[in-house]
Amino acid sequence: MTCSSPAGLLSPLRRLTLCVLVCAASTLVCAAGRLVAADAQPIDSSGSGQADVHRVDFNRDVRPILAKHCFTCHGPDEGTREADLRLDTQAGSRQDLGGYQAIKPGAAEDSELILRVTSDDEDLRMPPADGHPPLGEAEIATLRRWIDSGGQYEVHWSFQPAAEPSLPAVENPGWCRGPIDRFVLHRMEQNGLSPSAEADPVALIRRVYLDLLGTTPTPEEVDRFVDSDRPDAYEALVDRLLASPEYGERFARSWLDLARYSDTNGYEKDRPRTIWPYRNWVIDALNADKPYDAFSIEQLAGDMLDDATRSQRIATGFHRNTMLNEEGGIDPLEYRFYAMVDRVATTGTVWMGLTTGCAQCHTHKYDPLTHTDYYALMALMDNADEPELNADPPAVIEQRESIQRRITATEHDIVKRVLLADDGDATLQAAWAKWQAERLEQLSDWQTVAPDQMESTMPTLAVLDDGSVLASGDATKRDVYSLTMPAIDSDKPITAIRIEALSHPMLPAKGPGLAFYEGRRGDFFLSELEMSIGETPVTLAVGTTSVPGAKPGNGKTFPGNLFDGDGSTGWSIPGDAGQTHRLVIPLDPPLRLDQAWSLEMLFERHYVAALGRFRIDVTTDEHPQAMQISSDLQRQWLASKTSGQVSPKLKQDLALEFLRGADEMAEHRKPIDRLRNQIPDDVRTLVMQERPESNRRVTRRRHRGEYLQPKESVDAAVPEFFATDPEDGPRDRLELAQWLVSDANPLVGRVTANRAWREFFGTGIVRTAGDFGTQSESPSHPELLDYLDVRLRDTSVDGIGWSIKRLHREIVLSATYRQSIGTPPSADPDNRLLSVFPYRRYDAERIRDAFLSGSGLLSRQIGGPSVYPPQPESVVQMAYGNTAWPTSTGADRYRRSLYTYSKRTAPFAAYTTFDAPSGELCIARRDRSTTPLQALTLLNDQMYLEIAEGFADAAVRDAKQSGSDAKPRDIARHLFRRVLVRQPREGELDAILAFYRSQSEHERPWMLVARALMNTDEAITTP
Amino acid sequence: MNLKELTRRQLFGACGIGLGKISLASLLSRDVSAADSPTPASASAGLHHPAKIKRVIYLFMAGAPSQLDLFDHKPKLVELEGKPIPPSVIAGQRYAFIQPGAAVLSPRFKFNRFGQSGAQIAEPLPHLGEIADDVAFIRSVHTDQFNHAPAQIFVNTGSPIPGRPAMGSWLTYGLGSDADDLPGFVVLKSGGNLSGGAAMWSNGFLPGEHQGVAFRTSGDPILHVANPAGISRQTQRATLDLVSDLNRRRMESLAVDGIRSRIESYEMAYRMQTRAPELMDFSGESDETLAMYGTKREDTGSFAKNCLLARRLAERGVRFIQLYHSGWDHHSNVEGGLKSQCKATDQGCAALVKDLKQRGMLDETLVVWGGEFGRTPMVEASAALGRSLGRDHHPQAFTMWMAGGGVRAGQTIGKTDDLGFHPVEDAVHVHDIQATILHQLGIDHERLTFTFAGRPFRLTDVHGTVIKKLVG
Repeated sequence: MTCSSPAGLLSPLRRLTLCVLVCAASTLVCAAGRLVAADAQPIDSSGSGQADVHRVDFNRDVRPILAKHCFTCHGPDEGTREADLRLDTQAGSRQDLGGYQAIKPGAAEDSELILRVTSDDEDLRMPPADGHPPLGEAEIATLRRWIDSGGQYEVHWSFQPAAEPSLPAVENPGWCRGPIDRFVLHRMEQNGLSPSAEADPVALIRRVYLDLLGTTPTPEEVDRFVDSDRPDAYEALVDRLLASPEYGERFARSWLDLARYSDTNGYEKDRPRTIWPYRNWVIDALNADKPYDAFSIEQLAGDMLDDATRSQRIATGFHRNTMLNEEGGIDPLEYRFYAMVDRVATTGTVWMGLTTGCAQCHTHKYDPLTHTDYYALMALMDNADEPELNADPPAVIEQRESIQRRITATEHDIVKRVLLADDGDATLQAAWAKWQAERLEQLSDWQTVAPDQMESTMPTLAVLDDGSVLASGDATKRDVYSLTMPAIDSDKPITAIRIEALSHPMLPAKGPGLAFYEGRRGDFFLSELEMSIGETPVTLAVGTTSVPGAKPGNGKTFPGNLFDGDGSTGWSIPGDAGQTHRLVIPLDPPLRLDQAWSLEMLFERHYVAALGRFRIDVTTDEHPQAMQISSDLQRQWLASKTSGQVSPKLKQDLALEFLRGADEMAEHRKPIDRLRNQIPDDVRTLVMQERPESNRRVTRRRHRGEYLQPKESVDAAVPEFFATDPEDGPRDRLELAQWLVSDANPLVGRVTANRAWREFFGTGIVRTAGDFGTQSESPSHPELLDYLDVRLRDTSVDGIGWSIKRLHREIVLSATYRQSIGTPPSADPDNRLLSVFPYRRYDAERIRDAFLSGSGLLSRQIGGPSVYPPQPESVVQMAYGNTAWPTSTGADRYRRSLYTYSKRTAPFAAYTTFDAPSGELCIARRDRSTTPLQALTLLNDQMYLEIAEGFADAAVRDAKQSGSDAKPRDIARHLFRRVLVRQPREGELDAILAFYRSQSEHERPWMLVARALMNTDEAITTP
Repeated sequence: MNLKELTRRQLFGACGIGLGKISLASLLSRDVSAADSPTPASASAGLHHPAKIKRVIYLFMAGAPSQLDLFDHKPKLVELEGKPIPPSVIAGQRYAFIQPGAAVLSPRFKFNRFGQSGAQIAEPLPHLGEIADDVAFIRSVHTDQFNHAPAQIFVNTGSPIPGRPAMGSWLTYGLGSDADDLPGFVVLKSGGNLSGGAAMWSNGFLPGEHQGVAFRTSGDPILHVANPAGISRQTQRATLDLVSDLNRRRMESLAVDGIRSRIESYEMAYRMQTRAPELMDFSGESDETLAMYGTKREDTGSFAKNCLLARRLAERGVRFIQLYHSGWDHHSNVEGGLKSQCKATDQGCAALVKDLKQRGMLDETLVVWGGEFGRTPMVEASAALGRSLGRDHHPQAFTMWMAGGGVRAGQTIGKTDDLGFHPVEDAVHVHDIQATILHQLGIDHERLTFTFAGRPFRLTDVHGTVIKKLVG
């Protein structure tokens, strides 16, 4: 949790007390909160049968009492522990307190705990009277029975590795199709319930289509299934659906909720980002049924695998889905910290089902997770840089190369024809000659000098082979590079230094700067420049730059800005990223640099603006100038000037340079510019890149979780309570990823199985989907959860071996899943025991996708950049900046909903209204609300009206094709089947036709009928 | 049905609910009554203690108005003009744009005293002066955040990071709404870009019906509230009748609450379609009223209309009405910027308070005015950004005012040092403001919690104290 720091209004002690109150969950509201968030369970939730109800189970019965009343002051948190007594461990409870102990096994009445909670003396009674209600009689009785029976502590169920449970005996084994059903039926029978009949085949095929593909079957597919006399027709259907590429699209959406996927950066400006290649990766991985362990490892640490492939690097986009604050003037490292907090929380939720958030600020009150554990876990993930990676699809590469070839050919053709040929354009040839003559005068002999030593306030500097310097790692709004340069052996004094700003593929938008937010990506801003020899400053003159228009008064380009003592003026390169430009600064007067000298560069902006790659050269030539032509070409040209030999290649290169830059060539450039405009943009996706060992990022514990309160550095490790041998435990991100999906992590199998269960039944076996900690709700079917865990990890031939498709297959083939929908029995109003198939509304995306597929409008293209289905302009108008919504046309209007452009500050309204997330938090479980705004959306949103028209057109077409005279009744029947899949009942048809006739004046009465059907409860809920 | 066996979802389902109508309070009261409480509570009785007010109108001045030029008069700044602030005062504070050595800028306006309380208010706010005795000023508010989006989100959700429930969502979650056919939490927007964006009216992890409904600045105020072209009111009614008929048929074989609440939600949507145009239609307002708000003046623009709309929403039982007016981020020419923003907002704010008072609604309404942080005593100037005579962000001290229900008006709470840099008396943190707003509605901010991903959350995180001087 973010316990941000107001400036000392409350003493730390007061804060802690408040914190305790929140976390203690012991107040009236919290009691109500439990009623709200959890429930009263009339059913036996132990899963162990009636016989065991009176046995005191530590985890089920005792720990919640201790956690609620005692752990706040006598729990894992040393900082708030009172009287040096801890009751969350057995050893602590047995500690000698001076002749007595809190818990004396077998002797409740001799246990201080019981004496204290039952005392009449307010000063003695625990918990203390100030705001803490005393224990209830039932609670005290439970504690007594537990202590009398030995007072044994047990590890919380989810922290223990699952053992394969034996299949329970059931009275009606004939109903069971597999082990899942045995566990489910057993729990029903324990509670006097029996399963429902199998759903009718039409309901079943619609259900399994929506669950496995997120779309609806066509009437033909339904008929084929219903009419099939194959005994394994359903199995065959399931296998066909699992093999469909739409399967990956369906489950990618759920995974993207966890990954907090979005196409924008969030916060104020919320600018676009490119990370859809990561979404493609998820779809592909799910379709390929990449085993969940590999699926996890690649997303968390694909870059660290041996010979990591491009695909494995793209997968690391998982943790690049964090938000990026681009507001002017922020502290970028603060928001990097918040992103790390998000990564720790998300990792905890997805792979451990544990809430780690509490421990950001203090040791967890209930779960054995210390404040230091939290930062140790953060340290495991903290050592990465966050670059972009080229993820051009093959088609884009091919297209770019083809255009590039045409450009080269065209350029060569033009220079050959116009400039180089004897019968070329004489005027232009003269201009070219003049151009050459002018530049020839300006050529100087530049010598690259690589720094001997480099220091910086934050970025890490490294010398590349060509003598240039590359910056990486973190940066701030005010960075200083201090370069120590070697002595230069020269006959003549040095007249000038040259600084070249260069691009590099590792830099944001290829550089040359480090700016990655707020300003143009790849921007830099050199504010001040100082040169000295030893302690003696070197006087520098205002120089020249290859940046056009760099006149005095231009605060961003004029070289004189570097010496004006004003950080808000400087030298930079306006325009597109990825350019190379030069700055030449004369020494005034020229000096011999025959001893070490130094350069200090200040970069100051309201965003990160240090140079990402640059090169320093010196010259002894007189009147050196900054030139626009590249350094290489300058060097070759100079060499030819000395030798008097101009090679044809050099001549051609100079001609090309003239063609590309000279005003006189503007007309000839037009066809090239046209081609250049057709070059597709690079697809640069966001990835993780582990830092080298030599440049490890130091992770610090943050007092109260506050960024501004860094404390001691913390070594990377998984939480201590997982009892991994510290010598053996994970030390970096890759090892963490491997550990998370190993047997050492008892939670991952259950958490994964639980998530899968929720996909099909709406509620998990553990209802608190994101939380398996000691405060979580008990599983409705603990043994089933353990069974699925063991199955998931079982890599034998019969096992699931982390195959999510096999897990899904086992669930949808169960008799439990095939039951018909129904009203839950009064003994189990929440339907936790699944004696009927659960009723629930589908999520926003499936509602739209079902309509798109039913109406035949759906575009089946898989993957690619996001698209813009229609929505009112006013939605994005609410967002910052003049955001446009470039509504897609053609097939892109009807792509699967997971491809809809997701803008965090103006999420697609039709989805948020139906509880879709905006990508700000890892969402393990969506809410399912019912609101009038949903009604207004389905009724009146243009997007749905368009689909309604699609339905109407299709139904009329169907009726014509079926050979009938397209009577209203036929059309209505077809329409009904397209929207709701099943056949209408006659009464329903009558009602529909009465409505149809009442609207006969309307231009599109069938559209109105389709619209009405799309608004029925059945259209958007489970069949 | 035994209420104790109900989950929240079921109860909501059974009641046919949306838009935050049903509250935790009524849920709690049913629970309490089931547990032998003789008097079932109601929303107006508050959740934890009797409520002083029924609703909140929050006038959020986004961008951060300069307290030093409007409310917190510091003659010392005139004296120090052009000189840097002592480093001991700055003490490592991070700035968004300026360097810590920037020079002091004197107040840009003359200050006058108003009302019996003698409140000091600068020249650009004459209308506020007229209601000075109905208002309590807090000059010592401070926050943790020094950038707009996080600071705005912080004021609204208690956290600087998007994703937590907004104050209005907490309120409708805790209290429900008295509005029958309108959302319980409405957001109105005017002025320029709004940094914090949709995160400020997000329900976060609270149930979806508690999301704030942002009235659109163009088209339908509520998305899709008007029938699309070609759909008449009769067609809409006939459609709903068919939908309802088909839904009822389904319910015959499937007796789940979800279908019943879906039927209800469609009826409520239909009623909302009727109520929304009537809400937006000002033709019934008297000329006097319109003139008081200045809705017809060009320079008050949409803010004045939003103030009047706020009153109309208040009359219709909306629990939390939030007006955002952007345009206060005066990094350059703070003088000119304040003049135009005050002109756009001053009259509307004052009219709202007067109007509520005239109608006897001020006592049951809390009106809150404020931005997300203050502005520096130092000048901002930058050649690269073309800025001069502006002020940068200043989280250490800023001014807010409140009026209405339970507020001890006619006083000024808190004091800052001679530079207006730090509070020196009665410092009030943003979490304290939140705690106080909840308190006035009968909510103990430490006890309104919601468990998400395994831990209980609340609006004020682990902080906040009710400002006793203000409402005690």
